[in-house]
Parts: sequence; C-alpha cells; structure tokens
Amino acid sequence: MVEGKSLASSCSGLAILAFAALTGLIGCSGGAKSSSPEASSKPASSESAGAEASASDTPAADDAPVVLGDLITPFDTPATLAEAEEGVEWEESPVIDTLELLREQKKSEPAQVSVEDALAMKNDSDEANKKILSALSVLAPEDGSGVNYAAVLNRTIQQDVSSLNPLLASSVAEAEVAGMLAFGMFTFDWNFNPCASADTVASWQTSKDRMLDKVVLRDDLTWSDGKPITAYDVEFSYKLIMTSQVPVLAQRQGTDQLAMVKAYDDHTLIYFHKKPLAINVWNLNFYVVPKHLYEKSFAEDPTLRNSPYHVKLEKKPISGGPYEIESRQRGSEVLLKRRESYYTHDGKPVREKPYFAKIRHRVIEDTNTQLLALKASDVDEALLGAEQWLTQTDSDDFYKVNTKARGAEWTFFYIGWNLKSPLFEDLRVRQAMAYAMNYDEMVNDLCYGLYPQCWGIYHPDAWMFPKDPAPLYKQDLDKAEDLLDEAGWADSDYDGVRDKEINGEIVPFEFTLMVSNKPDRIAICNLFRECLDSIGIRCNIASLEAAVFQERVQDKNFVAEYSGWGAGADPYTNKNIFGTGEGRNYGSYSNPEVDRLFDEGEVEFDREKRAEIYGKIHKLIFADQPYLFLHTRSSFYGFNKRLRGYRFSPRGPFSYGPGLGSVWVPADN
Amino acid sequence: MRRRLAMLALVYVVALAVIAVFSPMIVGTKPIVCRYKGQIYFPALAYYNRSWEPAVFQRDRFRNVYVGNLKEKDPDSWAIWPPLYQDPNRRVREGEWPGQPENPTRDEGSPNRFNWLGTNRAGVDVLAQMVHGARTALLVGFVSMGIAASIGVVVGALAGYFGGWIDMALSRLIEVVMCIPALVLILALIAILERPTIWHLMAVLGVTGWTGIARLTRAEFLRLKELDYVTAARALGVGQSQIMFRHVLRNAMAPVLVPITFGIASAILTESALSFLGFGSPPPNPSWGTLLNAGRSAIQQMWWLIVFPGIAIFLTVLAYNLIGEGLQEATDPRLSEAD
Repeated sequence: MVEGKSLASSCSGLAILAFAALTGLIGCSGGAKSSSPEASSKPASSESAGAEASASDTPAADDAPVVLGDLITPFDTPATLAEAEEGVEWEESPVIDTLELLREQKKSEPAQVSVEDALAMKNDSDEANKKILSALSVLAPEDGSGVNYAAVLNRTIQQDVSSLNPLLASSVAEAEVAGMLAFGMFTFDWNFNPCASADTVASWQTSKDRMLDKVVLRDDLTWSDGKPITAYDVEFSYKLIMTSQVPVLAQRQGTDQLAMVKAYDDHTLIYFHKKPLAINVWNLNFYVVPKHLYEKSFAEDPTLRNSPYHVKLEKKPISGGPYEIESRQRGSEVLLKRRESYYTHDGKPVREKPYFAKIRHRVIEDTNTQLLALKASDVDEALLGAEQWLTQTDSDDFYKVNTKARGAEWTFFYIGWNLKSPLFEDLRVRQAMAYAMNYDEMVNDLCYGLYPQCWGIYHPDAWMFPKDPAPLYKQDLDKAEDLLDEAGWADSDYDGVRDKEINGEIVPFEFTLMVSNKPDRIAICNLFRECLDSIGIRCNIASLEAAVFQERVQDKNFVAEYSGWGAGADPYTNKNIFGTGEGRNYGSYSNPEVDRLFDEGEVEFDREKRAEIYGKIHKLIFADQPYLFLHTRSSFYGFNKRLRGYRFSPRGPFSYGPGLGSVWVPADN
Repeated sequence: MRRRLAMLALVYVVALAVIAVFSPMIVGTKPIVCRYKGQIYFPALAYYNRSWEPAVFQRDRFRNVYVGNLKEKDPDSWAIWPPLYQDPNRRVREGEWPGQPENPTRDEGSPNRFNWLGTNRAGVDVLAQMVHGARTALLVGFVSMGIAASIGVVVGALAGYFGGWIDMALSRLIEVVMCIPALVLILALIAILERPTIWHLMAVLGVTGWTGIARLTRAEFLRLKELDYVTAARALGVGQSQIMFRHVLRNAMAPVLVPITFGIASAILTESALSFLGFGSPPPNPSWGTLLNAGRSAIQQMWWLIVFPGIAIFLTVLAYNLIGEGLQEATDPRLSEAD
C-alpha cells in the first residue's frame, strides 16, 4: 500500500494503494523542521492508497454519549508532580535543533563542485548525482544573510486534502500540509535518530526504568490566535485522540501504547508508559490541537468537521506550526504563509525564521502534468517516475530551469499472498511463485534498470539488514514447476491448468491479482502473469481504482495484491505488518518465532543486539515468503534551480527533520 | 459521391471484420496447425479462448514457446505458422524464431523490420496488439448494439403500437434510462465486480444505449399503425404480435438501422475511452484504447503508440458513421432528392 507522495510512488498513499499518484507516494511527510514527524514516525506507510485507516478506527455508534479519552485504560495518575517524580531517577534525552545538527554534518561534507557547476551539470551518473547533491545541499548561513525570505515555494500534492485538522489527517497529502500547520514536539533526523525539537521543547528527560518521560515545553509558544501553547493542550490532544468517536485515522497508532499523558503545570508534561520498551520514544509523538477551541465542541460533534463551528474552524484553522493558512481552493491548491507569531514572541525573534514567505501546495494528480508544470516553473519540485527520470528529463528544456537528484529510499514493492487462501497456504507454492518471476526483465526493462530487486523487508543499506542474508531468488521455471508438482498442483484433469483436489473438489490454480490502476504497476503484474501462464497457472489481473483497492486489501478480500511499503523510522514498525493478528497484516501471516523476536526487539536497548534481532526477523520472513518481494524504489526528484538545501533520507527528501525546513532560495533569485 | 464513400467504408469494415476473425492466423506465436506425437492440434485457437489450448503442450513444459520445443520434443513434428511471428500478450524473446532478435523494450521500440508498428514499453508488438485488438473493437460494437437494438425495438414497438398508458409508461421509462450515464455506471460496476470483463462493459453499454432506437421505433410505429394495410390486417383477424413484428416492424426497420450504425461507432469509441482511462478490458487483452493509454505518458518519445491505434480508431469510427449516413440517405427520400 504504498503510494505516498509517492511512496507510493506511483501510487497514492501508503497505502499502497496509494494510489493516485503516478508514482506512488510515500506515506510520510516531513514538514517544517520543527514541527513534525508525527506522521512519519508512525508505522511504515503504505504506498498504495492514500488512507491509512485501520478497521479498529471506526467510530462508535452515534447515539452513545461522547466520553473524552474512553479508549484509555483507567490509570492511577499521581496527583502532583512531586508525587510523580518521587524516587524517579532521570536521564537527559536529546533536545536537538535538527537544522543545527545538519549544519554540523555539512561541515564534514565539503561540496565537490561549486553551485554554478552543479547547476550546469547533467545528472546522468552516480558520480554526477553525488556532485550535484553535495553542492546543492548547501545550507543557508546561520544569520540568514543571502536568503530570499520573500520567496514562495510551489509544491505539488497528488490528491486534495479533505481536512486541515492534523488529527484527522490520513493521506500523504494531508500529512504534508498538516505537518506545516501542526504543533509537534518530536522529530527524527535523516538517520532516523529520534529527538525532541529544540524549537518547542526546553528539556526532555527519561526515567532510568524507562516507564516515564518528562518534557518541559518552552514558554514562548503561541497558537496563531495569540493564546499560549501549553502542556494542557498536549494532554487534551492525547485524550481526544484516544476518544473512540473521534475519527482519528493515523494518529492513534503508537499513541494507544501510552498509559497516560498528564500536564502538571503550563509547561511540564509526564508521559506514562505501559511497558519499559526501547520503542517508547516513537509513541510520544502525536499532533497537538488547541484545547480552548475543541474543549466544548467535540462532545456535540465528535467528527470534528460537521458542526457549523467545526466547519468554520476547518476554513480558518488555528495553527501551532511555522506556517498558517492563507487561502484554500478545494481541489486545486492550499496556500500557506509564514506565521510571525511562530518565530517571534513579544516582538523578539526566538526561533529561526522559516525560509519561505508562502508555500503553495498545488493539487496535480497526473504525473505528466506535474512534469510539465515543473518545466514551466509553475512548481519547484516534483517526484519523477523512472521513465521520466531517464527519458523525459534529459533534454535542455528540462535543464533550462531545473535540475534533478536521486537518493536511495527504503521503499519496497511486493505481491502479497492471502495465506488463508488454499492456493498459497503451502510454502512450496509461494517459493514456486518466487522462482517463476522474471526478475531480470522487471528490473532492466520495466523498471529501466533504476530500481534494484527487493531483498526482503529491510533495505540492504539499513542497519538492521542481516549480515548473512539468504540469496536473492532468480527465475528458474523448472524448479518452480517441480515445487508445484511436489505440492500436489499438477494438471490432473488434462485441461492445461494445474489443479489440486481440495476437500473432494478439483480446484484449478487460477487467481486474481489486484493492482491499483497505474500503468507501470500493471506492466509488472502482466509480466508475472505471463510467467505463470507458461507454467500452467492462470492469473487474472484486476486493475482497481485506488480507493477500491485499498478497501479490498483492508477487508482482506483478496488472494494476491501488488503494493508497496515505505520505511518506518524504526524497524519495530514492521510488527504491525508481520505480527500475528496485527492491523496491517492483511495476508494473515503468522510465525510465532517472528512474533517472539518482535517482542524481544521492543525491550532490547542495544543497537547491535537489536540489529541482530531484526536481522533474524528479516531472514525468517524472507524464508516464509508471505510476499513475493519484487523491487525497491529510489526517490527521483526534479528541483527548480533556485532551490538549495535539500538532502535525501531513506524516506525521501522531505519526510524527516529538518527536511523541508532546510530548503531555501538565495536572495539573488 | 456519398454513396461511393459509404461503399468504401463498408469494404473497410468488412476487411476489418475478416482481420478480426482470422487474427490468430495473421499474427501469433502459436502454430495454426501442427502435428505433435502423432496427433494434429490447433494451438492458435488459444487466442480466442485460453482454455482451447491443447493441454499436452503445458504438460510437456513448452512454456508457450512452440518453435524450438516442437522439434526438440518430437523430431517428426511439423507446424504451419502465421505469417508474422509476434504475440499480442507477451514479448518475443531472443532465440524463439531463428534470425529474429528479441523485441526492444522501454522507449526503444520504434517501428522496425520485425516490429512494423513498433513495440510498447514491455516489448509487446504493437501490430500484433492492434490486429488482435480489432476483435475487441468489433465485438464491443456488435454485441452492445445488438443488446441495445433488441431492447430498443421491442420497447419502441410496444409503446408505439399500443399507445395509451403503455406508451405513457414506456416513454417515461425511456426518459429515465436516458438519464443514466453509462460511463459512470461502468465505473461503478468495475468497482463492485470481482473480475470485470469486456462482457460486462458490453452489457452496460447495451442496456443503457437503447433509448434513441426505442424513440425512433416508437415514432415509426405511431405512423405506420395508422396505414391501411395495418387496418386491413387487423380486420382479417391477424394477432397483435403478428402485426407488430411481422408487418409493421419490417417497414420501420430502415430508419432504425441508422442509429444502430452510429451506436456501433460510439460503442467502439466508448470502449477505447475506457481502456484509455485504464478501465477497459483487463490486461493482457489487447485493445486500441489500452495502446493509446500506454503512449499517453511518453507522447514525445513513443509516437507510434499514439499514431497507429489512433488512426485505427479514427478510421473505424469514421467508417461506421459513413455507413450510417449512407443508410440514412438511402432510406430517406428527402435526402436523396437533395442530391
């Protein structure tokens, strides 16, 4: 389910189904440097569709009274801060300005060529790509000299945002916009190290027993309506997210692992955890909405969007992030402007001034149109498909105003089997599928040689990738046919299609492979269909509209489906996909050993040991083949020549800290 | 002059029909006839229906490639091949046919000696897809308009002949059906169905496309039922259905043929449009619209994916319209006087 900004590259939404964008989208969004990572630190996003809803998020019946925080297990909260802190030994946790961190990092990475040379280069080799990135990732000087603060950044989003309320965000596009408007306290850098953002947090301490986190907010924070942002807003938002009738989609994941969040004064918050896990830090992160606006209204309209009052708020949302809404046209654009009350307090600058005066998000669903808009300077950045990267962006009409860059991304695509189906419950059949695929042609011809074959659930560049991985599958039709014969799938009724007697009935090996309606995805499915056809298996391809695809996958109403996953910031997020009975385990995969290792990984704090545990999980899942692992996908972006300061992470150029927050335009442009 | 054009169009449509019907014998990678291990087989029939392929070839692990395997597994075998060795469903690879290289992929498949109209990104031959896609195009036109004509003529005949409240009710029904947008209905159907096929599409086009035919039939019946010969038949005691379908319908048929012809043209166009949007016949079934869709994203690099199927759709739709016009002219005396 990938299609995020394009995680689903070529698709829309994490959901793999993500479906609208040509290239999928990836599920996460980055946001401005200080705000943030909420969406992103949530479990791996699906590329396929835009939505990440899970079945458990369905609101309760309308007539039940709305009880704030009814999903929270009753918890005995200490009444005072002194009580809560009694006997607790605190350890400091990192509070970091990620932009500052990136400046430090850049000092050790000198530019290999000058900016002028980089802009004159064509990105036609790995070497050229490195040179271009090393020069154009130059950051703005600390004092802001030479920055064009009046610049307007024109971005593209692949589908319209249905709500600007960050709690309701579910699609990739919504997460991108909400990331600029929302107040957030935690983020992570390009290596996925979590930290609190120095822009909003004064101090962050974790108890030695890992059961508590204490956060002190800065005292110079205000909402865009002038009211101060306090710890009570955070506590209220936590309870609102944990209210069953509020249709929160993505934000409840992880947040539901907290035992309680309690504000003890305007600035001091304590997070109570259920268990002392290594991954608790990822659960701290959720979007915060102003308590004074929703305190009274949520009870009469728990949808947060239907009552006249909420409609008014939706039109003119109150922002806690670096930008605020300027105007919005449904279906075409969302225009944000820099929020003065964010970077100044009582007339004095207290945070770095965001680099753009305005950020315009233009809704462009079609990737060809996106590319045309980029060439015409109507937008400043666009995600490119493999074909666009190779053949449509190598001419002078592209390089006149643009340049392009790429980076490895931990996103992979697969065909997921429904292991409850009698066709795929046998491991030998799944192995036969893996031997049947023509990987060479997929990689070299359909993926233009730009996306390597996928090597399991973790990317080979990732720290948790095993040191001794099983070899990649290669096409071997003889082996595939032998395995099928062995598993009992032979052509017993002599009709040219393999079959097997199941419960006294002859079942032919014929199934439907679902795919979201994107030509490049369909082409890969079609190649697989041809491979299967030649060994006596009939595969029918159903290319579905993204939303329909997403729904069918979530209802587990499929036999096989093609989609992709973006990377979660931490490997534990894959538990949600491969753990027995977990929310996004659509194929009903179950391996007790994998479940045990996931639990073990959550309580292990040492990175080396965690790498070993997740490496084992990787190998077990690769051996079980619940998916036919197809290919990974890199990020390919076209950028207007005036942009500086972009850098790729395994989640693409924007979905981490500082991400978009480090992008700027020089004053002479 | 007009007549001559209409005749030319008719020739084109007949030629197209011949190509469509015999497509597996024109382009294909399966032998039309072959002898293998003492038996005669017709593997090319698999292009009409996948299950018509003899199972023996699957058993002997031919893997859809007949050329080398036939001789290798039975030295005494022989086969008669289609004149063009290309496949509408898959790429032809190196070493299949002696002397023929593998089909180019990506955007490198411009028209060449082996791929007369080029190949698509996956390396599938465009000419093969167009020839086999003609089956889809013709089928959609004839089947959907066949359904529409049957419904339209019956409803129109009943409404026109009986008049009164029957006419009232059926006319309202026609108006209701006219309000149903066929495209939206098809999109909804695709979402609901487990395995949407081209037949569903034809059914929807047929079930929503009969209103024009019904109105024309009704008007003809309203006029014809007042004529003396109908009164005479009634006086002789001929049954109602006998009068309607035996006597009146025959005279009403000529003007009704015109909207049917135009309907075929528009059904072909609709199918292409749906395939172009990606909602047409599921892959790998070749269709002209699917080719256009593939070319859409690379119109500057892969012009052959747009030009050739575009010409085919244009000519076919034009031909049906010319035939329709010719029919109109031939059956409407006012038009022929004007010439």
